[in-house]
Amino acid sequence: MTVTDSTPPRSIDDYLKALRRALNGADPALIQDALSDAEAHLRAECSARPDQSEESILRTITDSYGSPEHVAAAYLETDQAAQKVLSPPRVSSAGGADSSSGIRGRFFAVYGDVRSWTSLMFMLLSLFTGILYFTVAVTGLTLSLGLMILIIGIPFFVGFIGLTRVLSLVEGRLVEAMTGERMPRRVKPAHTGGWLERIGAMLRDLRTWSTLVYQLLSLPLGVIYFSIAVTLSAFGFGLIGGGVVNLLQSFGVELPMNVSTGIEGGVIGAVAAMVLGVIMLTALMHLARAIGRLQGKIAKRLLVEG
Amino acid sequence: MSEAARKFQRDLNSGLVALVLLGVLAESDEDLYGYDIAKRLQQARAGEPLFKEGTIYPVLRSLAASGWLSSRIVPSYSGPPRRYYRITEEGRVVLSEWRAAWRDTREFVDQFTGASDSMNPTPEDRAS
Repeated sequence: MTVTDSTPPRSIDDYLKALRRALNGADPALIQDALSDAEAHLRAECSARPDQSEESILRTITDSYGSPEHVAAAYLETDQAAQKVLSPPRVSSAGGADSSSGIRGRFFAVYGDVRSWTSLMFMLLSLFTGILYFTVAVTGLTLSLGLMILIIGIPFFVGFIGLTRVLSLVEGRLVEAMTGERMPRRVKPAHTGGWLERIGAMLRDLRTWSTLVYQLLSLPLGVIYFSIAVTLSAFGFGLIGGGVVNLLQSFGVELPMNVSTGIEGGVIGAVAAMVLGVIMLTALMHLARAIGRLQGKIAKRLLVEG
Repeated sequence: MSEAARKFQRDLNSGLVALVLLGVLAESDEDLYGYDIAKRLQQARAGEPLFKEGTIYPVLRSLAASGWLSSRIVPSYSGPPRRYYRITEEGRVVLSEWRAAWRDTREFVDQFTGASDSMNPTPEDRAS
């Protein structure tokens, strides 16, 4: 790590720009974390010393807070070290003792992995969030276009894009909680300047459009995820339940109502149905985990990188 | 401080910053945010700080990601919202292990380098 200081930053904005440059190419979520930490600290520093100008405080900031290059290096090192240290034991400890007992153990270890449960929750939830995002995106876009001929269309459009940014942060938090994919912790700062400048910047910002694409995409994806989750789990539980009922019936247990499960083959058929049901549910858990990862990548690509 | 001393300090800091941060938060009765912690550390030492304030933030985040700190966000008048940290029970367990490791390491290192500042062996001393 070589710390070479070019001209020291003169304002908080300068410092943040230099920090962003120094982190160029890093994980976008890490960049946003680093920028928000630095901004919070520098603003706190300025308000703690109200008698001094921002420029004079910034002149000494490389000595106390560290130069942008130094701070960037600290984030990159910590992130790498954390990923190396933290991720492997997390995954293996989730599998528990089963993970050592061959393919069968690994197949069922998915139940011990929190990610597969949260991803399954996400699949069920995604239909409702999908409907919400889709409705907001379509309504906002059509109304913006329709109102463009009136003056009200301009603030409406700005408000609409602001709303999509907030929704994109909410979705990011949801995706991170459910799938573990790292997402930003705060809303991307709004553009400054007059109405027209702000609209121009929003229209040029690739992320505005990729966020809208994500919101439109989230409805069909939500329908697919929800259908997979509901169909497979209903089918799996149906097979297990049917097997249990058949087993009870074949042992002569009187059931309160006359149920026909459609499962043939007596005890063997009933056991086979239950095994198949368990396999189907476990396969669903694996699928959920894979879909969680995929959704994390999609969200990262469209909501963060733009 | 010479460049060699600075580099040595940086190498030392990679684990020690995390230990110090856990220690500060374990001592504190209230939740602390990054700037608060940075100023406490600054006040505890006269002269050049051992590490830059900017380097504690990524460590705080990684400690929180490990579940050793919990954090909450509080809006602030002076700028972006502040992230307040508090040590978790898991963090206290880790801290007591780290404290023991640090004590052992310090005692071991002191045996060879001398505990007082007057002893300052250079590579030449050791070679002879």
